[in-house]
Amino acid sequence: MNGTPRALNRVLLFIIGIKLLAVGLLLVLLATVPAVATWWHGWAAGVWAGAEDAFRQTRFPGREESWLWIVAGVVLVAIIVAMIAWLSQQGKGRANLLVASEDDSDVDGEVRIGGGVAEQALRAALSERTDLAGASVATYEFRGQPGLRIRIQPRQGVAPHLLAAEVSQLVEALDLVIGQKTPVLVHMVSGARSRFTKAERVR
Amino acid sequence: MTQDQETENFRAAGPDHGATPVAGEDAEMSRILRRETHSSRAAAAVIAAVLVIILCVYALLEAGVRAVGQPPWLVDPTTAAQRIIALPAGISPLLLGASGAVIAMVGLFFFLQAVLPGRRARHLLRDPRTAVVVDDEVLASSLARRARTAANVTQEQVMVVVSRQTVVVNVRPTSGSRVSQEAVLAAVQAELEEMSPVPMPAVRVNLSSSGVIGA
Repeated sequence: MNGTPRALNRVLLFIIGIKLLAVGLLLVLLATVPAVATWWHGWAAGVWAGAEDAFRQTRFPGREESWLWIVAGVVLVAIIVAMIAWLSQQGKGRANLLVASEDDSDVDGEVRIGGGVAEQALRAALSERTDLAGASVATYEFRGQPGLRIRIQPRQGVAPHLLAAEVSQLVEALDLVIGQKTPVLVHMVSGARSRFTKAERVR
Repeated sequence: MTQDQETENFRAAGPDHGATPVAGEDAEMSRILRRETHSSRAAAAVIAAVLVIILCVYALLEAGVRAVGQPPWLVDPTTAAQRIIALPAGISPLLLGASGAVIAMVGLFFFLQAVLPGRRARHLLRDPRTAVVVDDEVLASSLARRARTAANVTQEQVMVVVSRQTVVVNVRPTSGSRVSQEAVLAAVQAELEEMSPVPMPAVRVNLSSSGVIGA
């Protein structure tokens, strides 16, 4: 439930993938089909002639170099900055506050409850259980709304629906303490292996 | 029917359906559930971004060196362009074809990552308060325990494979004792109905014809 921009990921991967695919196929065709090579010589030479012409017309007054190199540099820097911005969007969305709201009293101010309250309470409650190999709780912000993500690793053979019902009760108790219903995601994991395979098998 | 459509149907049916809804009735929560059952493509995105950054930094270096009139670092852009125009001359066809194939494979990988749905091996469970996502392996281990007690065999004699639409239970009976296929099927089916994962898979039980000795 993090804020990874999934649509953007797919669009950019599509663009990059299509370009690499086209370049790769062109290289393969150049190596194998002579007709493609003759077409390539004519087309690429025409493009390069146009580019050289552009460079000649854009020289600094009194110097050999063209200012198009500066423009190219600026474009490349822009692409690099965009890529770094894209990278920084992956997996973002951790939040610190679970509640931040005005209360109805006459006293000025805001009530804030940190995510650590819920995280530590749930973690302490879950760590006592013997049917869990591990548990972690984190606060995330999804579309401006805070939510809790509970990751538990049940031991082999534990019935997931019973476990879910008991975690659900813990969450309801937490709702009473905090005084607000926060969205909660319970994720039962089996370890690192399940991330790479489609079908799951267990003896 | 796809998993998304099924999830959609359960959402539409809601409390009137008699069953508890998959998450809360929250539209926000069902969005989160959809995200949880599909891959975010973050890993491929990171690889692609790093590749593009490396290429751009190198091109920036050469362009910068050229702009200030210094000698090139690896290859002058003009020379590089002329060599590219001269292809396939100047390089062995085998090397050219191989490098082209490698680039095309990388491109195909990114393309498929962008286009394929990227479903994860996970099921949803119904719960009135929380949204519950369960890895298929957790379901499988729970079903395997139930099948093992129903067939009265040891842990090593049962293997359960859970995929999105099917659960396959493979049982190797102990040599000399009979295992009832119906009993195992009924037990696994009952356990699965108690869990009621979304989407609901169908159960198949395979009894192997050769038994295990001394188990």
